[in-house]
Amino acid sequence: MFGCLWSGRLYGLEIMRRLDSDSDLAVSASTLYPLLARLKTEGLLESEWVEEAGRPRKYYRLTSTGRRRAIQMARMWSRFSATLEDLMSPLLKEVAR
Amino acid sequence: MNATAQNPRVESYLARARAAMRGMPESDAEEVVRELRSYIADLSEQEGYEIDAALRSLGDPVELAKKYRAENQMVHAECSGSPLTVFQGLRHATRGRSGRITASALYIFGYINVFMLWSAALEKFFAPSKVGLWYVPGQIFSLTLVNNTIPPDGGRELMGWWLVPAAVFLGWLIHYITKKTAQWWIRRYRFRYGKGPEIGFCIGGS
Repeated sequence: MFGCLWSGRLYGLEIMRRLDSDSDLAVSASTLYPLLARLKTEGLLESEWVEEAGRPRKYYRLTSTGRRRAIQMARMWSRFSATLEDLMSPLLKEVAR
Repeated sequence: MNATAQNPRVESYLARARAAMRGMPESDAEEVVRELRSYIADLSEQEGYEIDAALRSLGDPVELAKKYRAENQMVHAECSGSPLTVFQGLRHATRGRSGRITASALYIFGYINVFMLWSAALEKFFAPSKVGLWYVPGQIFSLTLVNNTIPPDGGRELMGWWLVPAAVFLGWLIHYITKKTAQWWIRRYRFRYGKGPEIGFCIGGS
């Protein structure tokens, strides 16, 4: 979610489509929308309503707190994936042969 | 006029969701409904979904509303000074029926004590000789409200008018501890069960 919103604002359906196309993460609308509301209440996201083609859309973007949290989580993920890669390296070598 | 505007199935879905969001601040609930309406419109008009398929993708409206309501009430409870708001949040911050009953019972027990102490402080002004902390040799101390056996035979009242500030303070202390413990529990629950990261500030609260 933070990765999707890192480069700019998106509305709910765009976030769902981005997660689906860029990461194969299929998140349902009934999970995504309450999650967005929560992150907004916690001050990690901010939102604004924008009228596009006669239709209101609620766009989300990361706040400065959200950006700090995103960096923090990216660091954690980086450490975690490095550990996993170490653990899997004998297997991966075997697969590469 | 687009296909979703005033569509009876969409309106019915949103009305059911809206009704199940009772207890949430009006503005928050309206915002949710507006966003769901926008999502349904996007999905059906931009991506060609049938209205029913768009509604199905959101799931049951009552269940969806419960997710919003639970999260909203827990977030507000963490920062609220209102015992009722904290209580509403606490009910969502437990797993299973027995956990909910235990947490609710402990919370209510705390506030019963607060009520008793503050009632005693108030009653002292109306029946000063019948409200007090009594010591009867051979018996235990008792803080007693008005009843027909007071003052007890051979009993000695220990606090006099000091009972009023003491009961007010002790009541406040129990109220503070009960509320803070419940808020700590809610924050811990949200952190532990993936209901939200623990962050060190309250939005729009003290």
